[in-house]
Amino acid sequence: MTRPARHRRTLISAVSLATLVTLWETALRVGWLPSNLVPLPSQIPGVLWAEVLDGIWLDVVLSSLSHYSIGLVIGSVLGIAVGMAAALLPRFDAAHSWLARLLRPIPPLAWIPFAIIWFGVTETAAAFIISIGVFWINYFTSYSAVRAIDDGYYEVARAFGQGGFSARLAKISLPAAAPGILGGLRAGLGQGWMTVVAAELFGIPGIGQRMMEASGLLATDVVVVYMLTIAALYALFDFLFMRIQRRVLRWQQ
Amino acid sequence: MNDASAPVLTARGVRLGFADDVVLDDIDLEVAPREFVAMVGASGVGKSTLLRAFAGLLAPQRGDVHLSTAEASASRDCSMVFQAPRLFPWRRVRANVELGLEGLGLSRDERRTRAMEPLSLVGLEELAERWPRTLSGGQQQRVGIARALAVRPRVLFMDEPFSALDALTRQRLQSELTELRQRSDAAIVFVTHDIEEAVLLADRVVVLAKPDKGAPATVRDIVTIDLPLARRREQSGFRDHVQRLEQHIGVAATPEETTS
Repeated sequence: MTRPARHRRTLISAVSLATLVTLWETALRVGWLPSNLVPLPSQIPGVLWAEVLDGIWLDVVLSSLSHYSIGLVIGSVLGIAVGMAAALLPRFDAAHSWLARLLRPIPPLAWIPFAIIWFGVTETAAAFIISIGVFWINYFTSYSAVRAIDDGYYEVARAFGQGGFSARLAKISLPAAAPGILGGLRAGLGQGWMTVVAAELFGIPGIGQRMMEASGLLATDVVVVYMLTIAALYALFDFLFMRIQRRVLRWQQ
Repeated sequence: MNDASAPVLTARGVRLGFADDVVLDDIDLEVAPREFVAMVGASGVGKSTLLRAFAGLLAPQRGDVHLSTAEASASRDCSMVFQAPRLFPWRRVRANVELGLEGLGLSRDERRTRAMEPLSLVGLEELAERWPRTLSGGQQQRVGIARALAVRPRVLFMDEPFSALDALTRQRLQSELTELRQRSDAAIVFVTHDIEEAVLLADRVVVLAKPDKGAPATVRDIVTIDLPLARRREQSGFRDHVQRLEQHIGVAATPEETTS
């Protein structure tokens, strides 16, 4: 995309968003929408500031980030490791494939009862639930990415004395599957945020719990503050991840 | 026969195939040091399969293949140039050339120096830090040749290395290969479906053919090309060799002994 085309696209997106917010504000002010259903957009910055000043915003964000990071790392590492192992080791693939098919359709939130029984209403329970969602995304993308590697690369490695398992893993499987694996990691970043809020709705401290409290008091403005917080945090993580991804995959560009 | 002239590759009674489907049988061949042997035959006769068996990438069903052990330190018995260059796109050109040098006990600096030698031979030293995707098809194949030469092999196997290139690039690489072989100590076993290419480059041409329809292919003949190197298609004797080889490949059902 050329630079003028990119600028035009940015402008259209900004105008479109501004129009939506203006319509929302107008609809509430002229009474087209009942004010107890959605907050005035113009109130949001003030409510955010009040949450920051009270120290609530930082507390809940740090708490959620903690669950999110732990769940994300555990789910990603295990998902990539098991997915790659299944793709590279036929016996392991055969041994676990039925179990994978059985467990895969179970949504992460269905594990909440067990998470609470096993870990109580704790950070660990939230991290566990988040890691399940992230695990499956990384498992499938890693599995597919490794299975899609051209066998010709392995033949080259063997022809040049690099046919051992560890050499093939380090010199072919990992770098060749990196685009798919990184794609899975990026999808896991988004999936993690979706699960973190849901996991916290059951009383584990964090953004989700704060949103639940606010909705109980019909404080829709607070709910929107944290919805926007999640969007901003996801955008930040995604932006940073894209930078790393571009660097790692510079051979593709 | 002293050690210096002992064959670098010896194949005895090699049979290759998949279960009961035997593709090649009774293959006997010896390749002398620094010799250039081309293998020709009809499509599907098993040329590339045989080359892979020679290179140790396939196990014969019967018979054996022996490669003489590399004498130089930090070198390999054999290496291979593939039909498609199959460079690793995630490695820069130099790192691709270093592939075979890894695990030979060389330091990182030594590997870098060793990789630059064959890159210089194929005229690509200035592109050492480029990514493979930025190279043309001919340049990529040159890197494939440099990668194979970097390990200083006793035998260099080449599997139709120029067949995917345009005619001009192919001709240029053919003449570069003739120069290269004079500067390298490696024997070359070269698979091609192009008979002219075989006559242009090789000291001997092995003709693989099936004696009968449905029978496994075997060595129909080995033709010595007694023309001086730096050959041209127009020179006298060139067409005679080509026609003789064409006859062998095309008339598989009526074996005919040929010497040259």
